[in-house]
Amino acid sequence: MAPVMRDSVAPNHAEQGTAPLMEGICLCKRFGKVTALEGVDIAIRRGEVTGLVGDNGAGKSTLIKILTGVYRPDEGELRFEGQRVEFASPKDARRLGIETVYQDLALIENMSIARNFFLGAEPQRKVGILNLLDVRKMRLVTEEALKDIGIAVRSANDEVSVLSGGERQAIAIGRTMHFGGKLLILDEPTSALSVHETNKVLTYIDEVRKRGLAVIFITHNLYHVYPVADRIVVLEHGRKVGDFAKDEISVDELVQIVSYGAQRVARSARQQ
Amino acid sequence: MRIKALLGHREVGVAVALVVVYVVFMSMKKEFLSAGTLGDIVTVAAELGTVAVGVSFLMIAGEMDLSVGSNFALTGMLLAMFITRFSWNPHLAFVVVLACAAGIGALNGLVTLSARIPSFITTLGAMMFWRGVALYLTQGWPISVFADVPLLRWLGGAKVYHTFHISAVWWLIIGAVFWVTLQKTAYGNWVFATGGKRAAARALGVPDTRVKLVNFILAGVMAGLAGCLQLGRMGSMSPVWGQDLPLEAIAAAVVGGNSLTGGVGSILGAMLGAVTMASIRIGLVMVGAPAYWYMAFVGFIVVAAVALNVRLGEVISWHR
Ligand SMILES: Nc1ncnc2c1ncn2[C@@H]1O[C@H](COP(=O)(O)OP(=O)(O)OP(=O)(O)O)[C@@H](O)[C@H]1O
Ligand SMILES: [Mg+2]
Repeated sequence: MAPVMRDSVAPNHAEQGTAPLMEGICLCKRFGKVTALEGVDIAIRRGEVTGLVGDNGAGKSTLIKILTGVYRPDEGELRFEGQRVEFASPKDARRLGIETVYQDLALIENMSIARNFFLGAEPQRKVGILNLLDVRKMRLVTEEALKDIGIAVRSANDEVSVLSGGERQAIAIGRTMHFGGKLLILDEPTSALSVHETNKVLTYIDEVRKRGLAVIFITHNLYHVYPVADRIVVLEHGRKVGDFAKDEISVDELVQIVSYGAQRVARSARQQ
Repeated sequence: MRIKALLGHREVGVAVALVVVYVVFMSMKKEFLSAGTLGDIVTVAAELGTVAVGVSFLMIAGEMDLSVGSNFALTGMLLAMFITRFSWNPHLAFVVVLACAAGIGALNGLVTLSARIPSFITTLGAMMFWRGVALYLTQGWPISVFADVPLLRWLGGAKVYHTFHISAVWWLIIGAVFWVTLQKTAYGNWVFATGGKRAAARALGVPDTRVKLVNFILAGVMAGLAGCLQLGRMGSMSPVWGQDLPLEAIAAAVVGGNSLTGGVGSILGAMLGAVTMASIRIGLVMVGAPAYWYMAFVGFIVVAAVALNVRLGEVISWHR
């Protein structure tokens, strides 16, 4: 089957059966003379993993930064749960349940897993006039939440530094789920991981999807995202050049599009 | 397992160092192990330890304060001057000088955080600047309070038992408050996070800049308070005192398991570090060794204890 090139029209909801959790409609972003994004539409659904792929400089990070309130789009609009939204800062996006997990930024190595898990949202209990950390609750809830997505830690009081890269991702992912995140954005979650660790992270992502969250998985490596993705969106020079349900396209076809450019692949497909 | 659980504390390294120091001095002079000597040690430790607690708290947040010695001298001198030369109410004077000490800390923080320069540099400058101010105040002369001022007795002059001065009580209370804040409150969690990985802390909504500023202020207040405690105990303050204090406080902190780069540390460890150094100071006097051996001995302990702490850190990661 030849890859189907679609124009950048608004996605057809009736076809999907569910209204998207989040939509970006005709998003544009320019930095001086550089057009980082040009008329990009994207629809993110609950219980789906959307793979966002594209070469260096394709505009993946720019798109994500618009969805998370880091940048405001020059043109276009954002909708969340059907409502038009505008984000003044990433805080606004987080308040709606949009959480980003960055590869190297997520956790603090010299702190315990439980202290990391609750950082910035520490549970407290009153002892006399003092507001003290509820250390017990921190440990129990952390261990429970991690068991939930299939990661067993020896003790939530262990330091993060003893964990593998994949386990660290899992903790950041578990944290998002626990605090009521609705959309989980993973920026290159597997780029620094071994094959074995990558597979573990993919099972955690699968777990998140099963719980009905929406996931955006940004990567250079199609072989990492393909097994877990429900949809794959391809960006090229700031434009969306592909938006496929997984069963519409094979991983090899996707690799061709990303590495040789959508135009050339389409042309050669026509010639056949 | 038991041993592992015991090793799982940052304070083990300094506890070992303290035992070694005790064994060495006891073998040279039996009287080293006596209530009287312990009182002398704790009295010295209280002033150094008050500074070390503040410095340790700041270091865990990832910053440094080299100006604590100058702050210590200046604050003590201001308190003495307000009481003797200006005849202020001592309590008012005490509040005002602590506010000055807080101001010195706040200035360190504001300059460091807004100019985005290392606090090592900012506070190196502050150390020299405030030392100069202290020297200018009396043209280099020490200043003494000869009158019997109840406040000064309460701060450090009074003895609660034998050779134990009341300043040690204040120090223990302060240490407990800092320990609880660091280990058992949300703010303490923010301090560790800010010093451990500032960008990650910020991404999770921790007010990292405010945390650092507050800790700069606290380090300043503790340095100034230590100056007041010493004025209370000795009845005088000299503008040249406390010159080694910044390095001694940092040494106490790192011996006690604090990291120079932040994110790791223990208040109890810093306090035991101060006791270790005070023990060396008193011990050398007791065995009749020249005072300059103090620095040499401290230098040895710092390197040995930190080497031990690094090994312990590996155990601690697995068990806290
Ligand atoms: N803050 C900025 N200022 C100027 N140009 C920018 C800025 N951010 C991105 N760009 C430009 O916009 C384009 C898209 O960049 P973006 O970072 O979104 O790509 P990317 O797909 O995330 O690439 P990578 O895979 O390398 O992370 C690039 O040409 C980049 O140079
Ligand atoms: Mg990018």
